Amino acid sequence: MAATIPLVLAGCSGSGGSTSSGKVDSITVLDYYNQGNDKTVIGDYLDKCGAANDVKINRTLVPGSSLIQKVLQQASSKTLPDVLMLDNPDLQQIAATGALSPLTDYGISTDGYAKGVLDAGTYKDKVYGLAPTVNTIALFYNKDILDKAGITPPTTWDELKTDAKKLTKGSQYGFAVDANATYEGTWQFLPFMWSNGGDEKDINTPQTEEALSLWTDLVKDGSMSKSVVNWTQADVNDQFIAGKTAMMINGPWQIPGLKDSKVDYGIAQIPVQSASDTAVAPLGGEVWTVPNTGDKAKQKVAAKIVDCMNSEKNQLGMAKLRYTIPSKTAAAEQFGKDVPAEQVFVDLVASARARTGELGEDWPKAATKIYTAVQSSLTGQSSPADALKNAQSSN
Amino acid sequence: MKLERLFQLLFLVPAAVYLLLFFGFPVVKNVIMSFQAYTTTTFYTGEAPWVGLQNYVKVLGSQLFGTALLNTALFTIGSIVGQFAIGLLFALFFRRNFPLSGVLRSLLLLPWLLPLIVSSAVWKWILDQDSGVLNQFLGGVGIGPVPWLTSPSVALITVILVNIWIGIPFNTTILYGGLQDIPEELYEAGSLDGATGWKAFRHITWPMLRPVVSVVLVLGVVYTVKVLDIILGLTNGGPANATQTIATQSYDLSFKQFDFGSGAALSNILIVISALFAIVYLRLNRKAVDD
Amino acid sequence: MTDTALPLRRPSGRGATPKPRLRGNGKKYLLTAVGVLILAVMLFPVYWMINISLQPAGPAIEAAWFPIHAQFNGYVQAFQDQAGNLVTSLLVALGSVIISLVIATPAAYALAQFKVRGVNALLFGILISQMIPGIVVANALYAAYNDLGLLNSIPGLILADSTAGIPFAILIMRAFMLNIPTSIIEAAKVDGAGNFRAFRSIVLPISVNSLITAGLFTFLFTWSDFLFALTLTTTQDVQPITLGIYQYIGTFTSDWSTVMAAAVMASIPAIVLLLAAQKFIAAGATGGAVK
Repeated sequence: MAATIPLVLAGCSGSGGSTSSGKVDSITVLDYYNQGNDKTVIGDYLDKCGAANDVKINRTLVPGSSLIQKVLQQASSKTLPDVLMLDNPDLQQIAATGALSPLTDYGISTDGYAKGVLDAGTYKDKVYGLAPTVNTIALFYNKDILDKAGITPPTTWDELKTDAKKLTKGSQYGFAVDANATYEGTWQFLPFMWSNGGDEKDINTPQTEEALSLWTDLVKDGSMSKSVVNWTQADVNDQFIAGKTAMMINGPWQIPGLKDSKVDYGIAQIPVQSASDTAVAPLGGEVWTVPNTGDKAKQKVAAKIVDCMNSEKNQLGMAKLRYTIPSKTAAAEQFGKDVPAEQVFVDLVASARARTGELGEDWPKAATKIYTAVQSSLTGQSSPADALKNAQSSN
Repeated sequence: MKLERLFQLLFLVPAAVYLLLFFGFPVVKNVIMSFQAYTTTTFYTGEAPWVGLQNYVKVLGSQLFGTALLNTALFTIGSIVGQFAIGLLFALFFRRNFPLSGVLRSLLLLPWLLPLIVSSAVWKWILDQDSGVLNQFLGGVGIGPVPWLTSPSVALITVILVNIWIGIPFNTTILYGGLQDIPEELYEAGSLDGATGWKAFRHITWPMLRPVVSVVLVLGVVYTVKVLDIILGLTNGGPANATQTIATQSYDLSFKQFDFGSGAALSNILIVISALFAIVYLRLNRKAVDD
Repeated sequence: MTDTALPLRRPSGRGATPKPRLRGNGKKYLLTAVGVLILAVMLFPVYWMINISLQPAGPAIEAAWFPIHAQFNGYVQAFQDQAGNLVTSLLVALGSVIISLVIATPAAYALAQFKVRGVNALLFGILISQMIPGIVVANALYAAYNDLGLLNSIPGLILADSTAGIPFAILIMRAFMLNIPTSIIEAAKVDGAGNFRAFRSIVLPISVNSLITAGLFTFLFTWSDFLFALTLTTTQDVQPITLGIYQYIGTFTSDWSTVMAAAVMASIPAIVLLLAAQKFIAAGATGGAVK
């Protein structure tokens, strides 16, 4: 009895805003850019897009790892925001619930985007989310250390092995990756697996085995620390800044931190097995979506905000401030000209592959298998082949 | 007499109501969930089809369940034995009046105050194989480097050690409180009968401490079985599932794979396991007391 | 070390009785030295946290053993960001202590002293409640709180956080209250005191120690709560310090000196409380002995 009264009250007060007057004056936004530079840049652009559409932006921030939980809670209590940011591999899962509306319903154009970007935002042939800027991972190297050793950044796996070995001495390792037991570990393994022809549908293949053998060998011969099985990407970056590793795999979001440090670094493509292979990079970045809140007028305005965030000009503006790459091909090319240091990422993103492109909402299961196999092989628990076989058949 | 009964019940009512609202209701919800296909879609549509025992079949039949069950048992037994033994030693030690004993004992609670996310971050640095302080120190005396968190055969022990560290303050404080409540006269009387030292402990301290020991041990097991944060923070269940427990596995199902039905089924299994333990322990204990 | 630390193992009986009156000052200080050593080992991670908080910003793995070039930038930043969160945490923790003691004390007394039917059932219910993983409770509470408008509110957090304090306080205080001789209470009743008067004027004063212990742990539980803070707040209006620290350890960057400075600050109010409570516990113990 006591419980029902506030429920009714909440129902009344919650629906204010638009439907009665017809005019939308505020839009709620939920995203996980809760830190420093990202927080301000995204906030500024959201405000700009709000002003352009004559609405006030009410933005809520949550830490990255709790975003999905928050979204699910809001979905069940019918309090979804008008504009929602999602990490791209999560989009299909959320779209599958029916909580999101297709952006094409609002007449938003999807022309000019790189294929991987659209793949990531698509669920059952409809585009539900668009990412203004995207990222991927590449090889970061310490220029001073490589110069001293007379080494240029490796381009093939053989070079990577020999160079990493040469660069390992004292407390300094040659190479570092994030191989931990989370999706982050999977994400870092993907470029090695994909570039060699491996595929997430079935990881028990010679191609994936070769990629896993490479990582395993690097740990075995001491070029890579055994601790990689516990490092996050931030830990890997810490190691790099501290000069404890000469090369690492990481993404452009580390650039602000690297610039603050005294490390003189360069960026190159991740080595491939033979020089003739093409590097396939995994696509990272966050997509903006319009949830089905039931308030049609607000959804329309929300779509305009998403569209505005994705204008070529705004993509370019945010990209430069956040060290990420515009998702529209034309804007990306311009970005490469303006910021030559990041040309590597521009090239990679053009052909980058979406994690959910093939398996859609089943991706998390495959991702779990991949990091499980990586862990079991790197710790010497089983051979790369057995590790992959067991992981593939698990479940 | 009837009025007296009613009056006595009044003492219990607030607690009973609170327990029903804040524990009864969630558990019922969780049990229902475990028989449903409760996924991300359910949150939006509110629909969760009944699937009978399917979730239980799935989690019990998974390859990982055996590993997780064994790890949970080892983690719990190892943690409890360590925490209790060291906690009791510390409690007895601090009971002796020496300068600063009170202050030192209070400060011993400090590890409790660190937010768990901070503790696990700090321990991760300390235990880092290459640049961690612990291996630096051990290297200085010619041991190591120990692969604390990177070897599947060592990682579980490491996680247990860290959990012991976290549990010591609790055990020390509660047991110390129990020791304080043992009347001094008992020892005086005992010493007249020649009960001193080990004998005094065996015949006076331990029996008098028994109710408190029961609480400490049962609560210890119950808390330890469901430990989540510290394992996620240190190893994420790795390397190679070496530290995966039922609790981490349940968390993984619900919040990483969004299979909330299966996650609920697994957490119910966890509740049943610790309930069984508590029943058995309390039975045995009652018997021992009656004898 | 063990020989001096363990009164029980000592071969000769004399000094082995608890609270021995130590004669030689040297012996006293030896015990203090051992106590300090124990504390040094136990608190090393705390030291390491303080050490990193004083280092210049940068990767924590580079941290020197001692903060020779101490910098306070981290503290300035942390204070700017987290001062409000500390106040929130303090309010929630104190609120939870009050609620928990008010609900738990009468229940603990009833469970320890009354012979009402259903006592064992309730006792077991409390024990079961301790086995329920926090996530199960949090998930169910979210929906209910959303309907009741308790999300993002201090009362909401106080009630939820008391899920740790109330059952725990009941069990701990009951274990202590079992030792209260029934005859004392009966005597009071013969003098004409009702159940309530007997509780207030006899039971409460005798049990002050256990109340303080229960309150202290409730405070610590609530202070370090992370799960409910994470799940039952959706904005930054009401945000406890643990969540503030969690937000610091963000997705993409880590400024460890600031994170650790926030963690140190988060420990200060609780340290103060620990030291203050230590005096109360001592006072309570001697007060009880005099009577």
